[in-house]
Amino acid sequence: MEESGLRGFLKKLEKAGQLVRYTDEVMPEPDIRLIGRAAVDIAAGNTGPAVLLDNIKGYKGKQLALNVSGTWANNAVMLGMDKDTPLKDQFFEFARRWAGGSDGELKWVKNPPCQEVKITKDINLYELLPLFRVNKYDAGFYFSKPAVITRDPEEPGSVDKQNVGLYRIQVQGPDTLGIQVLPFHDGGIHLRKAEEMGVALPVVICLGVHPVVSLMASAPLQYDKSEYKYAAAFMETPMNVAKALTADLDIPADAEVVLEGEFVPRERFVEGPFGEFPGSYSGSRRQFRIKINTVTTRKNPIFENLYVGRPWTEHDTLIGLNTSATLYFQLRETMPEVKAVNAIYQHGLTIIVATDNRFGCYAKTVAMRLASTPHGTSYAKNIILVDGDVDPFNLVQVMWAISTRVRPQKDVIVIPNTPGMPLDPCSEPPGVGAKMIIDATTPAPPEVSREVRMVENLPDAEPYQKILMDLQKAAR
Amino acid sequence: MKCVRCLTDNASKVAEAPDGSKAWEVYVCSRCNFVWRSTEEPEVIDPEKRDPWFQLADVDVDDILVFSPVPPLRK
Ligand SMILES: [Zn+2]
Repeated sequence: MEESGLRGFLKKLEKAGQLVRYTDEVMPEPDIRLIGRAAVDIAAGNTGPAVLLDNIKGYKGKQLALNVSGTWANNAVMLGMDKDTPLKDQFFEFARRWAGGSDGELKWVKNPPCQEVKITKDINLYELLPLFRVNKYDAGFYFSKPAVITRDPEEPGSVDKQNVGLYRIQVQGPDTLGIQVLPFHDGGIHLRKAEEMGVALPVVICLGVHPVVSLMASAPLQYDKSEYKYAAAFMETPMNVAKALTADLDIPADAEVVLEGEFVPRERFVEGPFGEFPGSYSGSRRQFRIKINTVTTRKNPIFENLYVGRPWTEHDTLIGLNTSATLYFQLRETMPEVKAVNAIYQHGLTIIVATDNRFGCYAKTVAMRLASTPHGTSYAKNIILVDGDVDPFNLVQVMWAISTRVRPQKDVIVIPNTPGMPLDPCSEPPGVGAKMIIDATTPAPPEVSREVRMVENLPDAEPYQKILMDLQKAAR
Repeated sequence: MKCVRCLTDNASKVAEAPDGSKAWEVYVCSRCNFVWRSTEEPEVIDPEKRDPWFQLADVDVDDILVFSPVPPLRK
């Protein structure tokens, strides 16, 4: 039987030449940070491998996986595509799967792999897991890629309102976690309700899950949509889940590590700073705390973490296409002229939209629509519009469009004093910003432009790329 | 033991290398929740060498900003 979960995916990566085993001894700090940084830096986030380490000083024999979703080659493998697939083609395959929506099937299994080993006494996460400081001035050792599962305390029977979220977690004691959940997160809604009721919210944290589960956990799905059902639809196969041991919560049956516990109600504890995805450190804040009472794992579990910091990092790859696809479908609901959306830069602080102009100056209204989507309201700071036949994922084409289409006096617009993204280091005060629209599309009537003929696109040249690349491979 | 970030006497050892190698120990501060390993770089674990921007020495931890305020209890 084909292995599922993270392990199954690592096998697929290995087969594609996208997994390396690092067997030389390394120090937890700073070596792991440097290896994570290097893996994603190879060819600027495009071709670097996932890395499996098993010789960490003091943690000998324990396994750590890094950069699993870090690069576009790995993302292509997740999509079942050749690892060399261009990003635009990955985007359309991603969007096709994404459109499968929330109709996936869940299958509950008994005695799941994730409960092969059970620990309820003397839990010490610093000794159980090969933890490391992700960035130098982080407040401690963080889980940067956990799947955090909670239910709505008012409707504890609802699977659809169960949330799987990706929130940063600091290990603040052997069985104690600090976690940043913001009020607008689905998990934040569960927490607010539980605290209003004065009860401790049960929570499970899964480490080392299939990348599609991490993908859904980091996606801004609607409150009453199940991340697991989305994951199942996306993978086009039922998703195996199991019941946690201490609470009515569903967990990926093949998770590597499962931490079960409860939120400490109505108290806050110092957490942070942590190097965040804009490439800046967040401050110290008082945040939620979780107490862990049960740990289950697979035999010889693989702890997975991601390097996040100065971009490009795995975090950018992980959330890049789901941010892009979400906005793509929202725009196309009323604007079918939109051909593709590239929102991979810093969670969509900068976005490039390829669109036809239905009539003169139409593209600018696409930008305004983008800026008023739920995500674009605080993100979508810099919006670049290019023609529908320009590949927004190909920055050479985008720069060509900007160079040859933009009339700065007409096509660059700044809207001051709009909502901003607090984690954007230049949002001042945090949460306030501005929007910039750069319209690099070709003017359409009735707008007048200079008479000029652009050189035609040559889509017929594309099949020759493969021929030439095969010849090049053979020439090695 | 003194915390390298808030410089109060609230830190203690919470873990040792689990493979028995005695390669390092881990310390936690119960006041500011800073966590460090004995083998980290001096700029991380030596208060003299740490970037003052990241220190919490003269800060009352109860004054630190809360992102999600505790809501009123329902009646
Ligand atoms: Zn301290």
